[in-house]
This record gives sequence, structure tokens and C-alpha cells, in this order.
Amino acid sequence: MGEGRRSFSLTFKVNLILVTALAVGIGAIMVAFAVSLVAFRNQLTIQSLMRQGDDHFVAIETLMISGNAPEAVGYFTKVNLTNAATTITLYRRDGTRAFSDNSTIEKVNQNLGLKRFQVKDRPPPPGMAMPTPRFAEAAGLPPQEFFFRDDVGSALTGGKAYFRTYRPLINLPKCTVCHGADHTVRGVIDIRSDVTEVVRAQAFSIGGAGAGFFAMVAILALVIGSFLRRVVLRPVQSIGKVCVQVTSGNFDGKVDLKSNDEIGVLARTVNTMVGGLHERFELTKYVSAGTIGAITAGQEPRRVVRTLLFTDVRGFTSYTEQHGPEQVVSVLNRILEKQSEIIQGCGGDIDKFVGDEILAVFSGDKAQSRACTAALRMVRLCAESVEEFEHLTVGVGIATGSVIHGMVGSMRRADFTVIGDSVNLASRLCGMAKGMQIIVCDAIHAEVGSEFQFKGPFSVRVKGKIEAQRVWLLTGKASGRSP
Amino acid sequence: MTNKCARRAFRIGGLSLIALSGLLASCAPVRTAIYATPDYPTWRRTTNVILDYPIPGHQNRFRIPRMNDVGFGAYPTTQSGKPRWDFPEGTVIVKEIYQTPKPAVGEAPIQLTIMVKAPNDPRAQGGWLWITRDLPNGKESVFMGNFCITCHANANEKHPYGDGNPNEEFRDYVYFVPGEGSKINR
Repeated sequence: MGEGRRSFSLTFKVNLILVTALAVGIGAIMVAFAVSLVAFRNQLTIQSLMRQGDDHFVAIETLMISGNAPEAVGYFTKVNLTNAATTITLYRRDGTRAFSDNSTIEKVNQNLGLKRFQVKDRPPPPGMAMPTPRFAEAAGLPPQEFFFRDDVGSALTGGKAYFRTYRPLINLPKCTVCHGADHTVRGVIDIRSDVTEVVRAQAFSIGGAGAGFFAMVAILALVIGSFLRRVVLRPVQSIGKVCVQVTSGNFDGKVDLKSNDEIGVLARTVNTMVGGLHERFELTKYVSAGTIGAITAGQEPRRVVRTLLFTDVRGFTSYTEQHGPEQVVSVLNRILEKQSEIIQGCGGDIDKFVGDEILAVFSGDKAQSRACTAALRMVRLCAESVEEFEHLTVGVGIATGSVIHGMVGSMRRADFTVIGDSVNLASRLCGMAKGMQIIVCDAIHAEVGSEFQFKGPFSVRVKGKIEAQRVWLLTGKASGRSP
Repeated sequence: MTNKCARRAFRIGGLSLIALSGLLASCAPVRTAIYATPDYPTWRRTTNVILDYPIPGHQNRFRIPRMNDVGFGAYPTTQSGKPRWDFPEGTVIVKEIYQTPKPAVGEAPIQLTIMVKAPNDPRAQGGWLWITRDLPNGKESVFMGNFCITCHANANEKHPYGDGNPNEEFRDYVYFVPGEGSKINR
């Protein structure tokens, strides 16, 4: 299940978390800040425009109510001309432009029953062309004020942004004398403020801040990624590479890291560990597996059943007298090397080399059978390697029984080895065996008599034993079995 | 240990319940008291002038304003040599609005507009709550716009109704105050 999943580097993961935290965390704060800033700015703009609208409305209403409509017209005409961002327009309740004709003057004169106001021939004052659909609600019952955004296209693409307010002029009781009491709303004052530049500046500042933020995130991602690669990923990869080398048996690699941080400490620990492993690996060449196992499991002596195999090179003493030391060591090492391979191949543990002798210990399932097989292979090896072994052969003795397994020696130098009667017996049998002979004790024969061919029994006296011992000569595998 | 856990769970549950109740209470709609009480038709009229002429806001619909006894307990004071009316807190004036200028006998009004003197209420404008009652469901809503007070502010100036307030007395936004101008005795 896990094998199919895509694997990402540590740097990528850490970078992803940091960048995500930056983008989401700080980004969210920035967005919230920007939103609140925009809202605050909008609120300020709206409040400012509403106050302006209030001021304009009060001024116009005051002038209109006191019957000074021409002054009101003059007021907002002047505002329109002097303030390009603000446009004030007065509409009648039916949506037509006020002062665009003389109908109001005529109606007032009619209500008063006299020609109080003279009709005039004048162009309509500047202002908006047409009211929006909200006008009907503003002039309805009850009349309502509106403050709303009324954009023409997008301010960012050449359009215009406006805040607009509709303020109804109520037909107050005191107005009814001139204007009649058959309507509630006299008209609607439309104050439009151009906020295009404000919107553009706002969009520019938000866009700039956003771009700056994303640039900052990208730069931080690069910097953090580079830092992590240098400080974490590469050292970890280097440590991993050394570990892979150790796994394949190469202990030469070292993590080359000078830093004193946690990774540096780890690298030095790995180097120390690899050194220790190397030493232990080298030690296994000189120390038996049993010794290493005992060091690992504990060094308490214990009584166990083991099968002991002794080999000894026959004629070696006279060979050493006739040949130089290099040749002696060379041929002995060849013989011991081949025997070691056979012993280990049969699951035996070489306890020690004593000159041209080998003491091997077999334990576990079919220990006696494996020891006999190893002995037969050694004898056959000698028969097949007469020239290579320079006519030297081996004699083998095998015994099985209870032995004491424990650390033997001094505090300064000790061996984890086997001692006991069976060890002595195997050694004595080996001593009796001539070249190419394998002598086993009666217990071995009793255990594996059906698997191998034996000659005997022979009754022999061995040193340290009062009674004669029954021994057997191992000659081969039982028919149908291969050694 | 079990009892301790149970007590803690009970305490947490209780606190949660209180918090939830508080939350629900804070979310509950604010109920407005019913100011035009069922006995309002027995209240005295504020004027005997027949209000069947058109006015802005109510068109030409017939109107009958009534006021509770708290309002009738008000008397004008004198300020700068002129009478000044300040209706006491708790004054309620209910104006029945009828569909036509001449409603039939027994015809029900189509709307009630109500003034409640509550100067300490944050929704008050000019010291009054301006309320409309939706007659089909009996709900009363405070009108938050300035439409009502804008018109009624004219009551404190010269205006075309009743005696027209020729001396521009402050009449507390009420067009017909008890007295000769309203053709009504206390």
C-alpha cells in the first residue's frame, strides 16, 4: 500500500509546510487586514460623502422651503461647476428635472391665486440626465433615503465609480400653501460623488500589497528550501549513503560534516557507529560466533549438549621441517581456509585454531549429522586436493555430549569456549585418527548410524578414561545419500 | 473518582446550558410593547377639528387622533413669554387613519400611527417614538426614518392646520394640543 505512494523529499515537505503556513496564516491575516482597511476606507469615504450630502441637503432644503428656489438652483449649479467630483441634481417627484420648465412656477401661482413668481426662459441647470430605478422608492411612501454605489463600467478598466445618495424633499405642511397638499414628496435631491480615483488607488494598493506578499512568499520559499537542502537534506542524504555502504559490507565511507548542530552530532555518531561495526566485523574473523553470541547474550557459563569436531593435519610436523615458513603458513592457511568453509557451510562454529588443529562446535538440530557430513567433505577435499595440499591430509575426531560453555581465561585475555569430557574425547579420537580417517564416539554412531556408513565398533583406550571406549570409523554416507 | 467526574460533567453541562440560554436570549427578536392598548378607542380626541382635508403623508384620508390621560395631564409652561408644551413621558397619541375622507359609521381604520413620549429610548426622535401598527397582525414597529419627525417638526412653527401656531410656540411636535385652537376642552 505504501509502496505505491509518491515520496517527497524532507526539504519539500518542510518547505511546503512553511510556505503553506505563510500563505495561509500570514496571507489570511493580510487579507483580513486588507479587507478591514478597505472597509474602513470605504466607511470613511461614505461618512464623508454622507456628511457632504447632509450639508448640501440642508442648504438646498433651507433655500427651497423659504421659497428661495432660484438661490437653491444657484447653489447647486455653483457646486456642480466648482467641484468636478460632485454633481447635485434636483428631480421632481415624477422624475423630471426640476427647473427644466416653468410648470412649478405656474402651479404655485395657481395655488396662491396670484402671479407671485414670473415664468422664466432659462436652460436647465447642469446635472444628471436620468435617475436610477431607486428613484421611485425614494419618492414613494414612505419616502426613503438611499446611499448606494452606482458604477459605470469598471473603474479599473476606464469606467467610473460613483457613490450616490437620494434625499427626498418632503412636502411639509408649510410648503402646502404654495405647492398644495395633494402629495407627500416634493422631489428628490440626487448627490453623486465620483470616487473613481479612490477605487483605483485602493485597487492599486491592494494589488501591490498582494504582489509583494506573494513575492515575499516565493523568496522565502527559495531561501528556506536552499537552507534546508544545505543544512538538513544533504547531510541526511550523506548519512543515508554511508548506511547503504555499510549494509553492503563497505565500511570505508565516512560522513563528512563539520557542523556542530544536531545533524553534525548525528553524523559523528554515525561515523563512530560505522567504526564500531567495522571493528566488530573484523573481529568476527578472529573470534568464534559462539563468543560473539555470548558477548551479546551474556557471559554466564552454562552446561549444554554439543557435538565437537577436531581436525589435525597429518604429517605437518615433518612438513615444517622440510619447507620454509612462508610455504608452511601458505599451505596450512589453504587447508584451514577450505576446512573453515566446509565447517561453516555445515552450520558449525569454529571455536579456535590451535596450530594445525581446528576445534569446531556443532549445536542445534541434527548437529551430529552435520558434523559427520563436514568431516566426510574434509576427507574428500583432501583426496581431491592432493597437489594443492602438497600431500598433506587431515585426521578427524568427533564426539558428542554434555559440555560447559563459558568464558575461560584471565581478566585480560579470555576465550569463550567449551570444556568437558566430550571435548577431551573428541581431541583424543582426532589424535588416534590417521590421515583421511574419521573416528567418532559410540554416541554419534547411536544417533546417526542409519545415515552414514561406519566400520567397527573398535574398543580403544584413551587418556583420562579408565574403561575402554567403543568408537567407530566413519567411511561415508549411507547408500543413496550424498556427503 | 466517578462522582468527581459526574460533578464536573454536571457543572460543565450547567454552564453550557446557561451560556446557550444567554446566546438564545441575545438572538431573540426585541419585542416592542403594544402602545395602542385595546382601550385606546376610549381615549379622548386631541381635537374636534374634522381632519378630512388632504395633508402630505396621509393624503386625503380621514384621521382621528386620540391621546391617553397622561398626555392630557400636560400643561404648557412659559418660555421667553411664549407657551411651551412638553408632554410627559408615557404620553401616547394614536392617530386612526381611515381609507377615505368620509368613512362609514362603524368602519374600521386601515392604519394606526402612534407617537409615544419616551425621551430616554435610543430610538426616540425629538423625544418621541414614531410607530406604525400593522392592523392585520397587530404588530407595532418603530419607524426609524426621519419622515414622521420631519413633518411633525412643522408643528413647532407656523403651519396651515388648526390655529396654525401663529406665535411659533414649541408644541412638542404635536399639531393639535388641548385648548381653544384644537376646539377641545380638557
